[in-house]
Amino acid sequence: MNRHWHNHAPSPTDSWVRRLPATWKLGVALTLILVTVLAPPAGWLPWFVAMFLFLLVIIAASGISLWFLLQRLLLLLPFVLGVVVVNALAPTGRANWLAIALKSSLCLLTVMLTANTTPFSELVRALQTLRVPALLITTITLMHRYLFVLRDEAERMRRARASRTFTPGRRFQWQALSSVIGQLFVRASERAERIYDAMCARGWKSR
Amino acid sequence: MNALEISHLHYRYHDGTEALRGVSFRVLPGECIALLGPNGSGKSTLLLHLNGLLPENPSGDGAVKIFGTPLAAANLAAIRRQVGLVFQDPDDQLFCPTVAEDVAFGPQQLGLGAPAEIAARVKKSLAQVGLAGFEARATHHLSHGEKRRACLAGVLACEPKLLVLDEPTSDLDPRGRREFKAMLRTLPATKIIATHDLELAVELCARTIILDHGEIIADGRTVELLADEKLMLAHGLERPHILHHLHPH
Repeated sequence: MNRHWHNHAPSPTDSWVRRLPATWKLGVALTLILVTVLAPPAGWLPWFVAMFLFLLVIIAASGISLWFLLQRLLLLLPFVLGVVVVNALAPTGRANWLAIALKSSLCLLTVMLTANTTPFSELVRALQTLRVPALLITTITLMHRYLFVLRDEAERMRRARASRTFTPGRRFQWQALSSVIGQLFVRASERAERIYDAMCARGWKSR
Repeated sequence: MNALEISHLHYRYHDGTEALRGVSFRVLPGECIALLGPNGSGKSTLLLHLNGLLPENPSGDGAVKIFGTPLAAANLAAIRRQVGLVFQDPDDQLFCPTVAEDVAFGPQQLGLGAPAEIAARVKKSLAQVGLAGFEARATHHLSHGEKRRACLAGVLACEPKLLVLDEPTSDLDPRGRREFKAMLRTLPATKIIATHDLELAVELCARTIILDHGEIIADGRTVELLADEKLMLAHGLERPHILHHLHPH
């Protein structure tokens, strides 16, 4: 259970970055992201270089391997590329596709670095301190909690399917996948109902 | 006063399934009752009524009374304070990131005191279920047995007078089952336990109620009902081996 790729908390190495208050880290990360996103197209290069160097220092201090972060960045790259391609093809935006690619990558790196140096429960508390609406916090908490459960459920279903699959074929695989996704959706909504019941049983005020 | 009084309780799901057909029984304070019956006999539906999760709009007709209070929309909060419901799948119940937050959820919702007081409650109930020191652990990294205990702690923190458990020992290993049963025995609350674990029924519950097709088939002393082989087999149950040791022939 402990070695899955999505498991960021607790991070493997203890460092002073990890021990910093979560509110600071979240504040700095949000500021960096905001400034990066809002940076004007002209004269952005020095800022990006400065930010990249800053992130490198933090990465070195946190003891997280660069390879680990790059792997995850690679995983998210299709989304970045999608945005870049759309922009490169736009009649007006041809010049800043590189800026957009850099902006997105830097923001993603910042988010990953924050997530991997801060335990999830501390992040949630930081969000509370920063007065993020309670409904949003509850949603984030529940999502994080049940991602694991859903992932396990999907894995069990996949395995059960695989054990009864005797004719390997691409068409059949896609069919099976679509039915797994459908089933997972139904199961998730049923579980949501049970979770809600369990919350009500302990006094959650729904009305 | 009865801890629980159910009279002529009926329930029909939206799809037309008649889950409960005129169920009536009473529970005295301090009793520990096993609720037995095959799958789909209406056990879980009955348990959901004890906490006001069913019916959708409780009318206050007096079919369910908890410590004298009829189940009605107006007194749901009061009823939930008295009845602690432990669900069958611990993952449905443990929804907070850490154990301490989850155990604190009930007391916070019910407004049972200041943060320091709630922290003390959390500590006490974790110690009660043998999870002292688990406060900061992530709920999704607990073992199945630990999850069960954490669920129970979350309910005990509200100090319920009536404890309702839905199959508390299913998918626990033998040691987990033994330890969980020993712990249940130490809890003073009135208990209703829906289970397929017949040994648990014999060891913990003096009285047993057998439910099938939404009706009460039998209600009496556990050792007598469970020794009735014909009755047991007719309702998807069996005579547990443990009875041989209690009454050597």
